[in-house]
Amino acid sequence: MSEKLNNNITVKLICFIIAAILAIVAGIQFYDHRTYKETVVVSDSFTEKKMLSDYVPSLKNTMADTPVFFFDSGVEGGTVLYLGGTHPYEPAASLSAFVMMENINVEKGRVIIIPQANRSATTLGMLGNAYPQYYHVDTEWGSVKYKIGDRWAHPLDSWPDPFTYRHYPSGLQLTYQDLRNVNRCYPGREDGAPIERVCYAIMEIIRNEKVDLAIDSHEAAVMYPVVETYVAHERALDIAMMAAMNLSATKFYMKCEASPTNLRGLSHREWGDFSDTLAILMETPQPFTDWIVGPMTEELQTIGADEFLGTAMEHGLTYVEYDKNVGCPMKLRVGRHLSGAAEAIDWTNASFPEKEVVVNWPSYEELMEHDCGYFLHDPAKADTDKIFEI
Amino acid sequence: MVAAQKIIYYLYMLITALCAFFLVKHLFKRKEHKGIINDIVYALCIIPFILRILHIK
Repeated sequence: MSEKLNNNITVKLICFIIAAILAIVAGIQFYDHRTYKETVVVSDSFTEKKMLSDYVPSLKNTMADTPVFFFDSGVEGGTVLYLGGTHPYEPAASLSAFVMMENINVEKGRVIIIPQANRSATTLGMLGNAYPQYYHVDTEWGSVKYKIGDRWAHPLDSWPDPFTYRHYPSGLQLTYQDLRNVNRCYPGREDGAPIERVCYAIMEIIRNEKVDLAIDSHEAAVMYPVVETYVAHERALDIAMMAAMNLSATKFYMKCEASPTNLRGLSHREWGDFSDTLAILMETPQPFTDWIVGPMTEELQTIGADEFLGTAMEHGLTYVEYDKNVGCPMKLRVGRHLSGAAEAIDWTNASFPEKEVVVNWPSYEELMEHDCGYFLHDPAKADTDKIFEI
Repeated sequence: MVAAQKIIYYLYMLITALCAFFLVKHLFKRKEHKGIINDIVYALCIIPFILRILHIK
């Protein structure tokens, strides 16, 4: 009986068909995540959209190519670059860029926004972590769906990985998958791996567009030391320190750290070393990326209330204050980024009046009062030339 | 260098296709380890190779 079963072609076919069904069920979800596009309705200050491939042509028609939005007042002043989506599993960074793009008003100088710096990494979830694929933001006109991506670019777009990633040009050896990490590949290479080319293109934007202040937005685990922090290149340290002190006195706690000189490939180090820009990175608290939290649900991403993290807080294991009943909601994290960027611009204006940028967008207080959805516009009622699917 | 990367990429895709082919072949025809458990393992192991070839995962 057993021998018969073992050699039965029908059994083998059933195994194959079940595997095929599993592949189809999983494949539909993976394909949906790979191809889903987020919608943004840009403000009246929008002037031009370019692509990274305009700066590095070899990125054209690849999943790593990503849009670059220009908001130019037409009045001579400085230029600010704001980056979201360097690590798409830190979605408040991208959402802050979207809220910024939908509400920005530029009166002097110009602002360049890249909402999905690592676009390839927005097309897959964290491998093996059972993450939800999407999160939703409620608005008066409906629910808006956004992706939760990965830290690294999709292996389909950059494959195979090396055994060890050797950073260019320093030669520093890093973990192999960091060849797909935008915040480990700066200043990049024009003919390098896909993410090295992305980084080179961003450097070209900073150099060619003469960016005076460049801000890279991130999120960090509550148990990670560099949380609620500006990390600044030495030339931007005074600005970041003043901004951190003022924010801590008036809005929310923020600290400041100097960019390590020997840790290579990061925006706050290489942007400053390989261009004239003032380079700053910002981190908000995101319980979703902590190591000890409970189920990885959409609520954990959007609200961030977790009892295990609360217990860690009681034992002094977190680096910032954490209330397990309140968590770290998306509105708080997006608000922190928006006011954190505005504060850095204000102090740059004060330090370098010739590089002044006069700009406004929703503040931390407004986000806390109205939540994120209040500031998103209905594409059904917007001018078609203001709607972008990315 | 970009062209070299593309060549290596497509070579890996070819290797993936070969792996998928041999897994399917050995699912239906093999000389050793003929148990049903091995059938199930072979069938499940095919999934990631197929998804990679189809550019889905």
